Amino acid sequence: MDDTVAEYIRRTVLKIPRDEIKMMLQKWGFLSEAQLQTLNFHQMKDNISQEVVQLCEENSADIKQAAVLDIIYNHIYQNKRMWSVYQMKKSAEELEYFDIKDFKKKFKRRLRSALKNVTITFKEYEDNAIWIRVAWGTPYKKPNQYKPSYVVYHSQTPYVFVSASVLKSNMPLLCQALIVASNYHDIREMELRSHSLNSLKDIVFKRYSQNFQTCTTKPLQGGNVELENADIRIIQENRSEKERIHRLNEEVFGSGPQPKLEFAQYRLETMFKSDPKMDVLDKKEPFRCLVKFSSPHLLESLKSLAPAGMADAPLSPLLTCIPHKARNYFKIREKKGLFPGSFVSP
Amino acid sequence: VPPQESVDPQKTAFLLRKAWTLYSVTPLYRFRRARLRDYARLLSAFIAAEKQKGLAVEVGVELDIKVALSSLADLRGSELDQAALLVQLCSRSQASSRSSEDKLVWSGWFCSMFGDDLSENLPEDFTSLPLFLSHGAESYTTLVGSWFQKTFDCCFRRLAISPQNLSWMVAMWAGCKLDRAASAVELVFSVPRLAQPLDISYAIHPEDAKALWDTVQKTPGEISQEEVDVFMDCLYAHFHRHFKIHLAAAKLVKVSTAVASAHCDGIVKILQSQYLPGVLMLLTELAISQIQ
Repeated sequence: MDDTVAEYIRRTVLKIPRDEIKMMLQKWGFLSEAQLQTLNFHQMKDNISQEVVQLCEENSADIKQAAVLDIIYNHIYQNKRMWSVYQMKKSAEELEYFDIKDFKKKFKRRLRSALKNVTITFKEYEDNAIWIRVAWGTPYKKPNQYKPSYVVYHSQTPYVFVSASVLKSNMPLLCQALIVASNYHDIREMELRSHSLNSLKDIVFKRYSQNFQTCTTKPLQGGNVELENADIRIIQENRSEKERIHRLNEEVFGSGPQPKLEFAQYRLETMFKSDPKMDVLDKKEPFRCLVKFSSPHLLESLKSLAPAGMADAPLSPLLTCIPHKARNYFKIREKKGLFPGSFVSP
Repeated sequence: VPPQESVDPQKTAFLLRKAWTLYSVTPLYRFRRARLRDYARLLSAFIAAEKQKGLAVEVGVELDIKVALSSLADLRGSELDQAALLVQLCSRSQASSRSSEDKLVWSGWFCSMFGDDLSENLPEDFTSLPLFLSHGAESYTTLVGSWFQKTFDCCFRRLAISPQNLSWMVAMWAGCKLDRAASAVELVFSVPRLAQPLDISYAIHPEDAKALWDTVQKTPGEISQEEVDVFMDCLYAHFHRHFKIHLAAAKLVKVSTAVASAHCDGIVKILQSQYLPGVLMLLTELAISQIQ
């Protein structure tokens, strides 16, 4: 077995939390059950990984098999990585049958024709997700196995989720290979990024609960509305205000759980407007700002602002549009014309 | 407005671009400038003794701590101020006995920049250096602080910076004229009490922030609370117009400009030497308010 492969396997096993090593090796399936029985999982991880390497040596592991173990690790710990979303476009509405073998062949061929030194590994999962791992080299150097790119493609959709390695220069080639292999003609990066791969899928596949226009003719009574610390001092006026806020919130956010995003960023290039009485800045140039919202669970956080008294209800569409516009990076400019108070986001 | 006195940039270079933790210090009793060498020796001995007692200062390595005390004559506002006092802790690893191996592990300095409010009415025998800034492990800060407290009967207290003071700072610093391309004027807010906490960073292009401040400030060279409020209200209103969020109800925790940055926990970083006296003057004022 190649020394570099041995070292790579050793380091991959070291990343795994000790009580998950056995499970991951079983998922990998490269070592037999009998071999796994010989491993002592209660010793120091250093020793465990050395023993694993020895067993892999017995089985003559090569980089292809080691790469599969890496995919398994990254599939389970997918939220450690930052994912971007790409959308592919077809030129015509052809009904094509997706052939996974054909896809893999075309993908490998396209990449290898441009780059000799590249390691390409595929793994399919039950939810129709195809995981692709690409380790990049140069014409003169073997692929760097420690900085691979990961691609997750759901073949029934035009969406590709990418966790690129640091080498951004490989992206064009990767994009090319994807559209060639999947028979699309164009691909563009969406303004949507998160650590939570599932949340990105929820957003683009529209799997979250969307806002329905609830048609309530009378205010909600009693139990439906959770009034925090139901204070008996809250008189009817305050209660109906709280209910109004709650209702508007539900309309705009939906009542189900929100997709999990960690941040949203807005580049504002709008005009500064002030009360003329204040006699302040009245420039004809935009007031340039960069606003970033961050939270362990951004959308739930934004949803709680109005009930907490921190924001008006309904909340600004700039924030509430995040899931259905499928983006969390925005550039906002002033909309010219009839309604100077509104914004466009290109 | 920050007075732009000529401070020797060489001497003060070490102050810039470091995160300093702020304290207020009550006047020192019977502090003698002439005895700096003695004090350094006494402080060294104190630190060594505390280590013997088992006060683990740093992990692992056996460090021999050498103390140096010096005066920074330039670092003061007027002749009425005491010159700043610098305390430096250097380590010499016992493994290597070469004297060139001294490594600076901690520094702290006492300062008074136009601190007349406090020094004016002090009885003799008291030295007023109300602002203390430290950089390095907190364990060393505690050691140095307790020695000073014991020796000069003074009291150190962490200096928190209120949102109101942070607003003052950002308005003032946003208006500073700078030669080179400046970094953004950034305000960081926190909304902690939600089920999912939210942080908001609001960064404004420095030219636009300065343009706004210039129209708010009525008299060059003077800043009033009212002007700071107007400036902040403008920023809050612009934000509300877009997001419908009442930023004024959130907690302002940090402000950052090309001149300096400040955090509500009482941590500052000064980036421009020409505005150093102005920043120190503001901080001295805060320290004095906390003491009185």
